[in-house]
Amino acid sequence: MLQAKNLTKVYNGHPALANVSFTVNPGEIFCLLGANGAGKTTTINLFLNFIEPSDGEAVIGEWNVAEAPLETKKLLAYIPENLMLYPNLTGLENLDYFSNLAGKKHTNKELEAYLAEAGLQPDAVHKRVSNYSKGMRQKVGIAIALAKQAKVLLLDEPTSGLDPKASNEFATLLKKLSTQGVATLMATHDLFRAKETGTHIGIMKEGKLVETLTTEQINHADLEKLYLQHMN
Amino acid sequence: MNMILKIAAKEMKEVLRDGRFRVLSALCLVLLVVAAFSGKRYYDFVNAQHKEAAEKERLNWTSQEAKNPHSAAHYGTYAFKPKYPMSLLDQGVDKYTGVSIYLEAHVRNEAQFIAAQDQTGLSRFGDLTPDFVLLFLVPLLIILVGFNAITRERESGTLRLLQSMGVSPERLAVGKWLGIMMPVILLTTISFFLAALFLGNLSDFGELSWSALLILFGVYVLYYAIFSNIVLLVSAWVNKSSIAFVILLAVWMVACLGMPKVVTNLADQLYPYPTQQEFMEAVNEDKKKGLDGHDPWNDAARKLEQEVLAEYGVDSVQQLPFNFDGYLMQKGEEHEAEIFFKHYEHLKEIYEKQSRLYRNAAALSPFLPARFLSMAMCRTDYHSHWHFSNEAEKYRLEMMNALNMDFADNSRYGDWSYKSDPELWNKIQPFDYTPPTYASVLSANTGNFVVLVVWLAVSFGFVVIRCTTLKP
Repeated sequence: MLQAKNLTKVYNGHPALANVSFTVNPGEIFCLLGANGAGKTTTINLFLNFIEPSDGEAVIGEWNVAEAPLETKKLLAYIPENLMLYPNLTGLENLDYFSNLAGKKHTNKELEAYLAEAGLQPDAVHKRVSNYSKGMRQKVGIAIALAKQAKVLLLDEPTSGLDPKASNEFATLLKKLSTQGVATLMATHDLFRAKETGTHIGIMKEGKLVETLTTEQINHADLEKLYLQHMN
Repeated sequence: MNMILKIAAKEMKEVLRDGRFRVLSALCLVLLVVAAFSGKRYYDFVNAQHKEAAEKERLNWTSQEAKNPHSAAHYGTYAFKPKYPMSLLDQGVDKYTGVSIYLEAHVRNEAQFIAAQDQTGLSRFGDLTPDFVLLFLVPLLIILVGFNAITRERESGTLRLLQSMGVSPERLAVGKWLGIMMPVILLTTISFFLAALFLGNLSDFGELSWSALLILFGVYVLYYAIFSNIVLLVSAWVNKSSIAFVILLAVWMVACLGMPKVVTNLADQLYPYPTQQEFMEAVNEDKKKGLDGHDPWNDAARKLEQEVLAEYGVDSVQQLPFNFDGYLMQKGEEHEAEIFFKHYEHLKEIYEKQSRLYRNAAALSPFLPARFLSMAMCRTDYHSHWHFSNEAEKYRLEMMNALNMDFADNSRYGDWSYKSDPELWNKIQPFDYTPPTYASVLSANTGNFVVLVVWLAVSFGFVVIRCTTLKP
C-alpha cells in the first residue's frame, strides 16, 4: 500500500535522506524511530509531496506520489505533530470542511459519529476549536481520517505532548484502524508506544534506514538496547 | 463547483466571525450614509438655486422692453448646468468646473460659480463623499480582511492539513478568492441598495437611470475583484502575514494615492494647459486679424461688403434687401465663434493627450480606470462638463443668429434706432440641456473597461499559477 523505493533527498549537497526503502502493507503499522534530524519527517513529507525526492520514489497504492499528487492524497490521511485547525470554527465545522475537501459528503449525524468514534467528548463538538486542547485537536484529526475513509495514515509524532491516557486512546484507535486494513506510517520517539502499537519498526540515523524489524521479534528492553546501540 | 463553494463558504464564515470585517464594514457604511446625507444637502441647495436662478434669468430675458436685438444680445442670459442624482455618489470634477455659463454676444465664457472658490482653504482637506469611501476605503478594507488569507494558514499550520486533503490548487484559489469577494460584494450590494433607495426618493427623481447605477455597481465590483486578486496573490507569495500586510499597504498607497498624483504632475509637465491669460491673449490676437461686427471699416469687413454687393449686383449697402449692419454683426459673431472653437479644440487636444497618459498609467494602477468610469457614469467627469459647455455654445450661437438676423431682416442700413418687438425674446426658447446618452458615455469609455478586464484576467491568472506551486 505504501512503498519507499530508494528514497533520497539532498539539500544543498547534504543528504537528508539516502536510499531509504521499505513497504507498509494494509493492516500494518510501521513505526519510524530515530533522533531529531534523522529523516523521519522528510520521509513523511515525501509521501505527502510537500517536497520532491532527489532520487527514488514514494509510492502510494499504484501511484508515484510525485506524478499523481492529487490521486495519492485522496487515499491518505495526515496527522502532524501539532495538528492545527481553524480556531474560529467549531470541531464539527472543521471536520465538515476537511471531509468536503476530501470529496466526501457526510450528514452532520455521521460527522458527529466520527468525532465520537475518535473519542472527542460530545459537549466539545459544537465549541470553537480555539478552546480545544492539543489532544482534542488530534482527535478531530483522527475523525478527519475516519471520515475520509483513508487507506493510508501518515503520522508525524502524533502522541508527543499527549497525556498517557490520551496517548493510550490514540494507540487503541490506530490498532482498530489497522484491523480494518489501513496501512500506517508513524514517526515517533516513543519506543514503548512503538513496541505496543506497531507491527514493524524502522530505526533511522542520519538519513539512512539502519534497521528494520517486526515488533514480534523483539521485547521492549532489547528494542531500547538496539536503539541506543545505533544512536551511539 | 460544490467544493469551491464549500471553500468559499468556510472562508466567508471565518471572515464574518472575525471582528475585523464587521467593524470595518460598519464603519464604511456609516461613512457612506454620512457622506450621502451631506452630499444631499448640497445637492438640494444647488438644485433649488439652479431652479430659482433659471426661472429668474428667463423672466429677466423675456421681460426686456422693446430694444435693438443686438443690445439684447449684449444683455445676454445664463445657461445652468443641471445636477444629476448620481453626482451624489461621485462628485468627480464638479467641484472645479462651475455651474453656469454667461451667454452674451461676441464672447464664449467659461463656466462660473465654482464650488471650490466658495470654500475656505480648509476645503483642501477634502470632502467626505461616497466616491472616497468606494474608491479608497473599500480597497483598504479588502486588504485588511484578506492580507493573511493564505499566510495565516501557513503560519498556523492549517495549510499542511489543507494540502494533504488532495484538493486541486485551482479550486482552492477560486474558493479563497470567492471567500474574500463575497463579503465585499455583500457590502457593495448593501451600499448600492441604500444608494438606490436614497436616490430614488429624491424629489426630482426623473434623471436617475437604474441601468447606469447598475453599471456603476459592476464597475466597482470589477475594481474590488482586482484588489482581491492582488491581495490573494501577495498572501500566497510571502511567508509572513506582517510582510504581506506591509506589501499590500504599499500597493494601495501607490495605486490609489501615488499614481493619480504622479500622473497629474506628469500630465501638467508634458502637456501644459495655457493659463487663462495666455488663452485670452491668443483669442484676441486672432480676433484682431479677423472680422469685427462692430467695426465696418476694418479690412475683413470691407472685403465682406464687396463680396455681398457683388453677389446681389448692387452698388451700395443701402440697396441691399436687408440691413447690412445686422448681417455684418452675425458674420462677425460666426467668425468669433470659429476662433473660440479653434482655441477650445486646442484645449481639448491637450486634454485628450493628458487623458491618454492617464489611460497608459492604468497599466500600473487599476484605480485610474475605475475612477474615470465612476465619474463618467455619474456624469461628473470632464467630458460631461465639456459636452455641457459645447451645447451652451451652440445655443448661444443660435440665439445670436436669431437676434442679429431679426435686426438685419427688419431694419434699414444705418437704422440703429430699430427696436424689435418684445415678442422676439419669447420666441427664443430657453436653453434645455440634454446630456449625452449612456450608450455614448459607455462607448467613449470602452478603453477603461478593457483595461479593468485585462487587470482582472491577468491578476487572476497569477493567483492560479501561484496556487499551483504553493507548498506548505
